[in-house]
Amino acid sequence: MASEIIPVERAPGPAILRNESRAPHTVEVTITAEPTRLSLIPGKKTAGYAYNGRVPGPTLEVYEGDKVIVHFRNRLPEPSTIHWHGLHIPNAFDGSPLQLVPAGSDFDYIFTIEKGSAGTYWYHPHPHNTGYQIAKGLFGPLIVRARNDPLRGIPEKVIVLSDNRFHPDGSLDFADPESLQGGIDFENGRECAHIFVNGELMPTIAIRPGEVQRWRVINASAARVFRLAIPGQKLLHVGSDGGLFEHPVEVSDILVSNSERVELLVKGTGAPGSATVLQTLPYDRYSPHTRPEDWDKTRDILKLQYAREPVRKPVLIPASLRAVPAIDTSLSVRTRVFTLQQGFINGKLHDMNRVDETGKLGDVEIWQIENIVGMDHPFHLHGFQFQVIDRDGKPEPFRSWKDTINVPKHSTVRIVLRFTDFAGKWMYHCHILDHEDHGMMGVFELK
Amino acid sequence: MKRWMSGAVVLGGSALVMLTVAAWTRPASEKQAKAAQIARGRDVVIQHDCGGCHGGGSDPSAKGWLAGATGPEMEFKIGPCAVDPTAKPCFTTRPKNITPDNTNGIGRFTERQIFNALRYGLRPEETPDGDITGTTPGKGNFPLHPHYLAPPMPWMAWRHMPDADLWAIAAYLKNGVKPNPNKVADSEGPPDFWVSEMTVEKIGPYPAKPFPTENEKQ
Repeated sequence: MASEIIPVERAPGPAILRNESRAPHTVEVTITAEPTRLSLIPGKKTAGYAYNGRVPGPTLEVYEGDKVIVHFRNRLPEPSTIHWHGLHIPNAFDGSPLQLVPAGSDFDYIFTIEKGSAGTYWYHPHPHNTGYQIAKGLFGPLIVRARNDPLRGIPEKVIVLSDNRFHPDGSLDFADPESLQGGIDFENGRECAHIFVNGELMPTIAIRPGEVQRWRVINASAARVFRLAIPGQKLLHVGSDGGLFEHPVEVSDILVSNSERVELLVKGTGAPGSATVLQTLPYDRYSPHTRPEDWDKTRDILKLQYAREPVRKPVLIPASLRAVPAIDTSLSVRTRVFTLQQGFINGKLHDMNRVDETGKLGDVEIWQIENIVGMDHPFHLHGFQFQVIDRDGKPEPFRSWKDTINVPKHSTVRIVLRFTDFAGKWMYHCHILDHEDHGMMGVFELK
Repeated sequence: MKRWMSGAVVLGGSALVMLTVAAWTRPASEKQAKAAQIARGRDVVIQHDCGGCHGGGSDPSAKGWLAGATGPEMEFKIGPCAVDPTAKPCFTTRPKNITPDNTNGIGRFTERQIFNALRYGLRPEETPDGDITGTTPGKGNFPLHPHYLAPPMPWMAWRHMPDADLWAIAAYLKNGVKPNPNKVADSEGPPDFWVSEMTVEKIGPYPAKPFPTENEKQ
């Protein structure tokens, strides 16, 4: 034990939800959403919302094949839902805006975790004002584990990224839609100056020289896109929204768009007692009209503190992680085209009472997502993991599972999807929350 | 306002096929009416010097006809820097490619979106495809956060053209011009998207006040 030399860690990661069930392969938890006073910025109290009193909410940890029962208690003064972002589960438990849980009511979400779906997910509300409720503090990690995890034994960190904006008194600042800032938020999404890691500003994570850590990164911010890097150090990118790749990929930085997840292996290459930072590098997702003045500045968001004592045994990183079976594009029965414009899809604003697209159970489809405007839009489909075929005609270098794909300005991405089960109305939308809430969303009905 | 166009939204790769099928099955008189509309649109486009900024001048046979800016000489500097190059603020706007190219032109906008651009000055990329019945933001399908075409696009004057002429321009641009793939960089501008400049107080009402106003006589 070397606990005496490991520096104090200020971001140990969210707490784990307590399993109330003793039945095998069953996880039963209670999640309560309620108004809370939070300590988010120094010396101030912020009136917000929280899941079980915490921001981020506690981690829901399950294994592939588990039956999950979530008793959701909505103690907010408004309707809400819990959307299990990225999970392939029956439509009735998707927590979409079609399934609002009224203020003061309870709802049980019951679903089984699909085999092969081990990965990093998250849960968040999805009513008609998703951006507001997430900004108030409602978001939490969801980890699906595999019994045969190729990276088991490697220490893990959950890294939930978010940002927020405050009035001088510590209350949350939501711009008047009629104001200039309101207009900019509508354009860019509500991107804010305070960047949080696991609900803290610039926290510290401890690492030992020679150690390898597995970071499960979740971008829970409404609009901020993170381009993560540690100066002078390569990262091993091992997984995306739907879990591990077939092989690790070495990168110098990694883009994490809104609602996306990445799994990284971080090697402790620093000297004993030294420190470094996790940074977010500039990324130009903006239209030239509304680019923020500091868009080209690098921001430090997390301190990585090295212990004095190195690890004794070197860590072996497997060259092969798991199989990612391809969805055969030649089986596709149709190509659907989605044109992303500023605030709407295929020329239409969202209408809860309209079905925009209809699909058939059992079909394989190609979706061609065309962004015809001058800013990026991250496209998310509920309920299904897909694979990227190509970006602007350039074939994807390797297979991975995704539920959100950033479609950069003036570019086209093609994805392939397989609709094996779960009929119902599924939302697809831009995951810039301001765009989603203003109607950049459609309904795909699977029959 | 009954229009010749049903407002069907035809998108992406299927657009060409569906337009072709529609043309093929349309009765002769309807075909003639469409051809007449496109011819009228061509006349209006030439007379209003669309090519003066968007390329080709008033000669539809010129290279780059309506294909947008091809170099810095076709760009506009908006703001005090138009006079003094070092003055701020300074925004560069560029005439767009208004040929029906699907990627770089107006190919994926409907004729109704083009009509709304000319009548209300609303950028088709940022305005849903629908009938607009008023100019109060958030009402009558007028966007809560309107995005206006960048200056010097003179839509403030052209919005007073009769409906039929605006629809004819849209029909000509969509159906009477060959797509040109010229890619034009996005224009720049202040974050309020010219909203403060496009109020009724500044650009006058539509329709214009009845004749005679205080400056006019019968």
